Amino acid sequence: MKDLIQINGVKKVYQSKAGPIHALGPIDLNIREGEFISIVGPSGCGKSTLLLLVGGLLEYEAGQIFINGNLVNKPQTDIGIVFQTPVLVDWRDVLGNVLLQIEMRGLKKEVYIEKARNLLRSVGLAEFEKRYPFELSGGMQQRAAFCRALIHDPPLVLMDEPLGALDAITREQLRVDLEQLWLLTKKTVLFVTHSIPESVQLSDRVVVFTPRPGQIAEIIEIDLPRPRTIAVRESAAFQQYIHQLTSIFMNFGILRDTVSTNQQKAVVGEE
Amino acid sequence: MTSLSSTTSSKAGGIFASLRGWFSEARNTILFVIGFLLFWELAVIVFRIPRYILPSLSSIIRQFVRNFDLIWEYTLITGYETLVGFVIAVAIGVPLAMLTAFSRILRQTFYPFAVALEMVPKIAFAPLFVTWFGFGFIPKMIIVFLVCFFPILLNGILGFTSLSQEMVYFSRSTGASQLRMFWKIRLPAALPELFVGLKGAAVNATVGATISEWIGGDAGLGYYIQIATGQLRMDLAFAIIFMLTALGLLLFYIVQLVEKRMIPWHVSQRVSVFGKREI
Ligand SMILES: Nc1ncnc2c1ncn2[C@@H]1O[C@H](COP(=O)(O)OP(=O)(O)OP(=O)(O)O)[C@@H](O)[C@H]1O
Ligand SMILES: [Mg+2]
Repeated sequence: MKDLIQINGVKKVYQSKAGPIHALGPIDLNIREGEFISIVGPSGCGKSTLLLLVGGLLEYEAGQIFINGNLVNKPQTDIGIVFQTPVLVDWRDVLGNVLLQIEMRGLKKEVYIEKARNLLRSVGLAEFEKRYPFELSGGMQQRAAFCRALIHDPPLVLMDEPLGALDAITREQLRVDLEQLWLLTKKTVLFVTHSIPESVQLSDRVVVFTPRPGQIAEIIEIDLPRPRTIAVRESAAFQQYIHQLTSIFMNFGILRDTVSTNQQKAVVGEE
Repeated sequence: MTSLSSTTSSKAGGIFASLRGWFSEARNTILFVIGFLLFWELAVIVFRIPRYILPSLSSIIRQFVRNFDLIWEYTLITGYETLVGFVIAVAIGVPLAMLTAFSRILRQTFYPFAVALEMVPKIAFAPLFVTWFGFGFIPKMIIVFLVCFFPILLNGILGFTSLSQEMVYFSRSTGASQLRMFWKIRLPAALPELFVGLKGAAVNATVGATISEWIGGDAGLGYYIQIATGQLRMDLAFAIIFMLTALGLLLFYIVQLVEKRMIPWHVSQRVSVFGKREI
């Protein structure tokens, strides 16, 4: 399949009061069309930064990003975005929130109502279109946010830890729903997560970042059948991928089994 | 009897049903107020509190009725000062809050200045305004304007700058123009905070009018209170205070009514005045 996104030598340095912070890169990465690609890495390594760079929502210092061969140098509109929080507006019901995407684009609302309803149905919100965000659980709000990111049929969806703020069970369910949505729509998804199992369950490829400044440590192809049912998730192959990713994390010192003696001392407060 | 009354009420429908609904919701509040007023009346009688310290409720009502013509005349004067000052504060404060929120230059220059000015006790200017503008309408209106303006401006700025970074990113990704983004997102998002400011201003408005009339007035309820207390007519003073309270409440409820209309979706609107959760 052809590449939708090309990231060539991209670097991001934030200017902060304490001086420049080299947050990311250089990164070289090509993302294929229709691919579900995850980025995992330690906190603060620049995952969100990369996502925003691809969306044209941040400026970068070096390198180039192309989407469909076009240089990214302003906010991209051919995308859908989902954040860790649903970012719905309080004054619109669920259907209205999904259609906000359409209205903001100056498109005809009437044309999209049916589609919005279908999307809501596919994530189990059919009966909740008239409800306001405060009447919904966090998981339901996040489902509505998925619909809002998909209603205009963008070829690319950016997701920044979209399941990160949910409880374990809701999260488990939403992973399944998300894969289902992706199988239906076949969009290119750039997905940031903290969870190794989540990345294995959802992705075609998992990109592991080093600690800040984030660089690509390794890219793992996940060659597992879809949909990734419980049977697949309990398979030896699935566990093998998790094991593989975990050891990469351990090699970087991001994960460890025991606290080292020095750190134990620091925690206890001894010199 | 019971069957009769129940059929009448069901036929009368709408208005009575909603009135009864309101009453049943407000019942505890009303009972409390009645209880409080009764306690006042009795306490004054039982403890023989002198009239010039705390008048009884009945004597206040008597004074209110007896002097109603003048009280009403002064109510119109004070009400006019309050309303004009408030409306001008809204008319200038809201657009200025918007400008300040969206202009980096104003945020860096005007905003800190406005925060500092907010700390200035505006009432302290009343004597100055009297020397500048005389005893009439203008100095009072200016004081009302000043005590209303800052809560509106500062809460307005807060409201217009309260969008989360994620919301801004989402908006940008839709390619919406600044104008469309303003109407669809920034303005509605700013309303709850803006109304906090408007309600604060409504509370301040009558206070500003009253005090400015004390300091240099020849008419109005504030002026009248001074006359009444000067003659140790506490019952009249209380009658005027009740009128002032009613005036303040009226302005406050108008703002609240508009708020209810404009942001029924907001958390603040989900708890009714009587403290019962509606949802
Ligand atoms: N606006 C900013 N100004 C200055 N520094 C920033 C800014 N945003 C992010 N950073 C820094 O850049 C680095 C990368 O941030 P980023 O949010 O991309 O990390 P992340 O991988 O998404 O982390 P997390 O997993 O915790 O969400 C962090 O060290 C952060 O402190
Ligand atoms: Mg992040």
